[in-house]
Amino acid sequence: MLRTLTLALLFALCGAISSANAQDKITVMLDWFVNPDHAPLIVAQEKGYFKAAGLDVKLVAPADPNDPPKLVAAGKAELAVSYQPQLHVQVAEGLPLIRIGTLVSTPLNSLVVLKDGPIKKISDLKGKKVGFSVGGFEDALLSAMLSKHGLSLEDIELINVNFSLSPSIVAGKVDAVIGAFRNFELNQMDIVNKPGRAFYPEEEGVPPYDELIIVANKAKATAPTNRKFMDALEQGMQYLVNHPHESWGLFIGAHKNLNDELNKRAWRDTLPRFALRPAALDTKRYARFAEFLLKQRLIKDIRPVSEYAIELP
Amino acid sequence: MTENNTSQRFDITVNIDHLVFDGRSLFRDLRFGIAGGAWTCLLGASGVGKTTLLRLVAGLLEDVSSATVSCSDGEELPGRVTYMAQQDLLLPWLSVLDNVLIGRRLRYETISVTDIDRAQDLLAKVGLGGDTARLPATLSGGMRQRAALARTLMEDRPVVLMDEPFSALDAITRVQLQDLAAELLADHTVLLVTHDPLEALRLGHHIHVLSGRPAVLDKPLVMTDAIPRDLQDTTLLARQAELLDRLRQSAAEMAA
Amino acid sequence: MTVFRPLLVFVILIAAWQILVMLTGVQPFILPSPAKVATALLDRGDVIAGHAWITLGEILLGLILGTILGTASALAMGYFRTARQWLLPVMVVSQAIPVFALAPILVLWLGYGIGSKVAMATLIIYFPVTAAFFDGLRRTELGYLDMARTMGASRWAILRQIRIPAALPSFASGLRVATAVAPIGAIVGEWVGSSGGLGFLMLHANGRMQIDVMFASLFVLAVIAVVLYFAVDALLKRLLHWQPDTQPSND
Repeated sequence: MLRTLTLALLFALCGAISSANAQDKITVMLDWFVNPDHAPLIVAQEKGYFKAAGLDVKLVAPADPNDPPKLVAAGKAELAVSYQPQLHVQVAEGLPLIRIGTLVSTPLNSLVVLKDGPIKKISDLKGKKVGFSVGGFEDALLSAMLSKHGLSLEDIELINVNFSLSPSIVAGKVDAVIGAFRNFELNQMDIVNKPGRAFYPEEEGVPPYDELIIVANKAKATAPTNRKFMDALEQGMQYLVNHPHESWGLFIGAHKNLNDELNKRAWRDTLPRFALRPAALDTKRYARFAEFLLKQRLIKDIRPVSEYAIELP
Repeated sequence: MTENNTSQRFDITVNIDHLVFDGRSLFRDLRFGIAGGAWTCLLGASGVGKTTLLRLVAGLLEDVSSATVSCSDGEELPGRVTYMAQQDLLLPWLSVLDNVLIGRRLRYETISVTDIDRAQDLLAKVGLGGDTARLPATLSGGMRQRAALARTLMEDRPVVLMDEPFSALDAITRVQLQDLAAELLADHTVLLVTHDPLEALRLGHHIHVLSGRPAVLDKPLVMTDAIPRDLQDTTLLARQAELLDRLRQSAAEMAA
Repeated sequence: MTVFRPLLVFVILIAAWQILVMLTGVQPFILPSPAKVATALLDRGDVIAGHAWITLGEILLGLILGTILGTASALAMGYFRTARQWLLPVMVVSQAIPVFALAPILVLWLGYGIGSKVAMATLIIYFPVTAAFFDGLRRTELGYLDMARTMGASRWAILRQIRIPAALPSFASGLRVATAVAPIGAIVGEWVGSSGGLGFLMLHANGRMQIDVMFASLFVLAVIAVVLYFAVDALLKRLLHWQPDTQPSND
C-alpha cells in the first residue's frame, strides 16, 4: 500500500512537471517485469510505431503486480497490462476500468505438477498441497478444475507461495501449483531438469479468456490517443508475426539482460498466443466468463460487457 | 577460612616494592602498618593513589607480585575484611533488610531467625528501625549510607576498609554518620581513606598523608584520645590548618 | 485515566483519517474511509479473527524463542571468549540483513507452516534482546563487584544475584524494542508464503481488490501490536518495580 501511495505521488509529480508536448505522453504499467509476453509492445516501441503515431510511450514495470490497475483507475497512469479475470473482479469492486485491447488471447495460467511425480491426473490431488500466488482468482480456477474431477477445494490444502511457484514445486514443498504460466514456469522447470506437466484450465471446465489485456481509465476510454495506441500495437503485432527472428533481435537489443535460455524458450512458446487483432472484442466470450465467475462467487452480479470492455471506434 | 569476628585483633603490614597502575608508577618502596583495634586515616590529594592502596589491602587488585599484605597473627587477610565505598552500594532491587543480609546470601549461607533479628537490631542502631522493608530508591543519601554501615557491621569482620564513605553527604549528615561509625566500629581495625582533614582528625588514631609521585607516606600523626573528637577542640582546628597546608603542597607537586 | 488518553488519541487519528479521505476524495480502492473499514471488520469479523489468532501465535512464539535464545547468547558471550568471538558477528549480521532478503530462504527450508514465521520473528528479536542484555551484563557497577568479592562471593553468586538483576533494566529496554518489531517478522514470513495469518489475508484481499478488508486486517494487526507492547511494558514494570522512574521534566 505504501508503494502504491509512493508511486501515486511520483506520478502526480510527473504530471505536474510535464507540459503540452508535440507527442502525447502515455505511461503503460506492465503487469510484471519485462518478459516475452510483452513482445508486441516492445516491437512497436523499437520499430518506432508509437512515435510515428505521435505517442511518447513509457513502459513501466510495477513493484507490486496489484498496483497497475489501481493506478490507471486512480488516473495516475494512462494504460496498464492486466488480466481479464481480474478485470471482472476489479470492476465489480467499483474500479473505473475498461478493456480496450488484448495482448495475449489465450489463458496462460495452468495447474502444474512434476512430470515424474505421483500426480498423474487431477483426481490424484486429493489430500495434497497446492501452491498459489496472489492472484485472488486462482482458487476459483482451481475449484472449477477440481469439481470437473469430483473434488472440491476442501479436498486439498491451499498454500500461498507468493511468487515462488517454480521453486516450491521443484523443491517438493507442494505437490502442485496453480498460477504458473505455461510459457514460463514449464520452461523454468525444464531448465533445472525437473520437467513439469500442465493441466490447462480451459480444457478442464473453465471458459477460455484473455490472459493479458490492455486496460484504460473508463472516463477516458474513447480518448483518441487510445485508438492510436492500439493501431500502433497492431502494427507491432504484425511485424512480430511476419518477422519473428528480427523481432527477437529487437527484444534483446532493448533488454540485453533478457538474452538467456529461459526467455528464448518462453518467446517461442508465447508467439502463437498473441492476439492477432488486438483491438477486436468477442463480447460473448467475456459474458461467458463473467457467468463462470458468478457461479464461482467471485462476483456478485452480471453487468453488460459494454460497461467494462469495448472495441474502440 | 579463619573464624571471623571482631574479637580478633592483629596488625596489618603493607609492603610495596613497586606498583604500577594505569601506566603510572604509583608507589615505590612503600611500607606502612595498620594498627589493630584502631582507626588509621589515609589523607591525600586527588589522584595520588589512596583508593588503589585501599583496594590493594582489600585484595581487589590483580597482578600484585611486587606488593604484600601480611597480618601479625600469620593468617590471611582476604575473608577478614569488609568494604564500604563512597556509594552506598545497596542493591536497588532488594529491601534494606535484604541488603544488610546480602553477605550471607552471596555466600549461600543459611539465614537464621537470629541473623534476621541481628540485622533488624543493627538497623535500629543506625536509626533505620522502621525502614527495614523499604527499597533503597525511597531513602535519602544519608539513610542509605546508614544502611551500608549496618551491612558492614552485619558482616562482623575484624577489619573495615572505607573509601571516602561520607564525602557525598551534606555537612550535617556527614558529622552524624562520623559519630555513628565511630561509636559502632569502636573495637574494629579501620582503614579510612578521606580527602577531608577534619574528618581524619575527628576519627583517626593514626593519620597519614600520602603525597608525591611515586607516592610516599610521611610520619603519621598519632592521637590516642577517644573518637569521635569534639569539633570545637581548638587543637583539632589548628592541626586541620597544618594538614590542609600539607595537602596543598602535595597537590602543587603533583600538578608540576 | 490511563485508558482514557490513548483512547482519545485513537479517536483523533480515526477522525483525521476520515477527514483526509473526504478532503482529498481519494478512491476507496486506494485508501478506504474508516467507515468502510469498520463495515468490512464487522462483515468479515470471524474470518479476520481466525487469521489474527494465527499471527498472534506466531508473534508470541517468536518472542518467547527469541528471548530465550537472546538471553542464553548474552550469558554465553559474557562468560566465554570463544562464544563472544563467534556470536558477536552472527548477532550483527542478523540485524544487518533485511528480513525481507532472508524470508524466501527460510520459507523454503522450514516450509509454509508457522515454523518459518516463528523463525523470522525470532530472528528479528534476537539482536535487540541479546545486545541489550549483553550490554547490561557487562556494565555492572564496579562497586557492586568489589563489594561482592570482598564478601567472598563465587562467580556464580555474582552472576545470579548481582549481574543479572542489575542487567534487567537494559534487558527490559531490549525486550520492549523486540516486542515492537516482532510483528514485522511474522508478517513478512506470511507474505512470502503461508496459508493463514493476517499477512496472508492482506495479500489475498489486495489481490481481490478488497482494499477495505486489507485495511481491516492491517487495523487488527496494529491493535495486536499495540496491545502486546503495552502488555509487555506493564509486565516489565512489575518485574522492575524497584527501578525509580524519573522524568527529565521533573528535574
